[in-house]
Amino acid sequence: MGKLKYRLGCYLFLLPAIIYICLLLIYPLIYNIELSFRDVSLISYMRGTSKYLGLGNYQKLFRDPIFHRILCNTAIFMVLSIVFQFVLGLLLALLFNRDFPLNNIFQGLILLPWFVPIMVKGNIFRWFFSDMGTINGFLSSLGIISHPIPWITSKSLPIISLSIANIWLGIPFNFILLYTGLKAIPVELYECAQIDGARQWHQTIYITLPLLKPVIVTTLMLGSIFTIKVFDLVWIITKGGPGNISHLFSTYSYALAMEQFKFGMGAAVAIVMVLIVTAITIGFHCIKVDY
Amino acid sequence: MAHTWKDWKWTLIALIPVLILIIPIYFVLISGFETVEEIYHQPPYLIPPNPTSQYYTEAWTTLNHYLMNSLVISVGVLALTLVVAAPAAFALAKLDLRGEKTVSFLMALVQMLPVSTVVIPLFLIFFRLRLINTHLGVILGISAFTIPFSVILLTAYMRSMPWGLIQAARIDGASLFTIFLRVVMPICKPAISTAGMLAFLNAWGDFIFAISFLQERPLQPMSVGLYSFIGQYGTKWNLLMAGSMIYSLPVIIVVILAGKGLVSGLTAGAFKE
Repeated sequence: MGKLKYRLGCYLFLLPAIIYICLLLIYPLIYNIELSFRDVSLISYMRGTSKYLGLGNYQKLFRDPIFHRILCNTAIFMVLSIVFQFVLGLLLALLFNRDFPLNNIFQGLILLPWFVPIMVKGNIFRWFFSDMGTINGFLSSLGIISHPIPWITSKSLPIISLSIANIWLGIPFNFILLYTGLKAIPVELYECAQIDGARQWHQTIYITLPLLKPVIVTTLMLGSIFTIKVFDLVWIITKGGPGNISHLFSTYSYALAMEQFKFGMGAAVAIVMVLIVTAITIGFHCIKVDY
Repeated sequence: MAHTWKDWKWTLIALIPVLILIIPIYFVLISGFETVEEIYHQPPYLIPPNPTSQYYTEAWTTLNHYLMNSLVISVGVLALTLVVAAPAAFALAKLDLRGEKTVSFLMALVQMLPVSTVVIPLFLIFFRLRLINTHLGVILGISAFTIPFSVILLTAYMRSMPWGLIQAARIDGASLFTIFLRVVMPICKPAISTAGMLAFLNAWGDFIFAISFLQERPLQPMSVGLYSFIGQYGTKWNLLMAGSMIYSLPVIIVVILAGKGLVSGLTAGAFKE
């Protein structure tokens, strides 16, 4: 008797969190699926008269040139962001794994920008990239360019500029994950290698990288998921523009729903994004199972 | 310390990436002290030639109306997150429940959901529930992401705590609730404060929920308030940068005071299954 009561008591601790997540994350997600099959505007939503379209929104989406552009943009944005964030983060982690003066203070300085609100980081890049902005200012003063580079105003550059901003944003995160992983490798291994006469960069290749592999896979997985979800940065710097050329899934879905009030179409874009996030997660889990 | 001259060579090498990473924040700081002409000067000034505090004062006059809203939202998220997440973490870490693995996995998974997929349906749901243009709506929305994160963080910490005290308290006949409040909470103070600070910072930095749910100006937090410097005919960059610095200041103070604890809190969840 007492045991049953105790068991139920245990579940009571968990219940609020479960209810919260079901009501505010799972239910909206399911509701999103339902929305994506309908033609929903604010008025039809309030009256409850939104028409059922089946896969109509999705068909429209796959024919939408903006959507094709988004697939391209997402590919460029993901590849650039992840490759550079990871490589630069790893190099930094290897560098800071050495013992040198001011190491701790420098680490603090690297991590500080991570916590600065996205609204601030987005706006500073909007200023850096603007035609009269800091980057063009430096480049033309140094005589490298004669005309300002249209970082965020041309037809092809904005997604590259956004990737650069996102790389800057992601380095601290990649750095700290990899650095934590490096610190967990026992020092004795390096000492043994040193006695055996292994060179330093051989040590990196034959000891550090293989032992770091699980951390590397985790870092790449989280990096991919965070990158495909990026919203704020793009919304603040270009709002998907000029002329809808720099949208990602998240910004296009938001623009469709919250600016044009096409909630059904917006939901369809969001569902496509969730499917890709799920595929990435499953993909990386399969790699992880390998060892 | 026993650092040789050779070690300082690495300090110099490390200085380059550190400067590149910190320079954007430095420009936010100095641009607020410059006039518009000075901001547009080529080459850009690295130190303001005639620093003036005028724009900081002006930015503050505008932003202070948004400060209270930011605080209400952030403290609300902090409180709601801890009240919901701490007991759940206790149950997952220490109570040996059936289905515990499934729940832990679920927490990790829902965290990965893109915020924008939740904002749109929540907007419609909250519209019907009349939670649009209320702080409560924004608090509920942000907490949907801070709660699973905090559960993961706190569970990891509580798993590493010894079972002994809880066992002893149970033998003494204390109820689970008393054990949670009197034994578990005090031991977990460091993790609780980390989770609380991260929830606070997350809410302070939020922008998407606030801009989607709060259309009435007197309700908006500072993140949205910064838009008042981005006019229809162009941005007042020096005011925007001064305002950005004012808005970031509480964050920078919290991060400097809390230091490494925050960072290890943020990475704690990453290496869990």
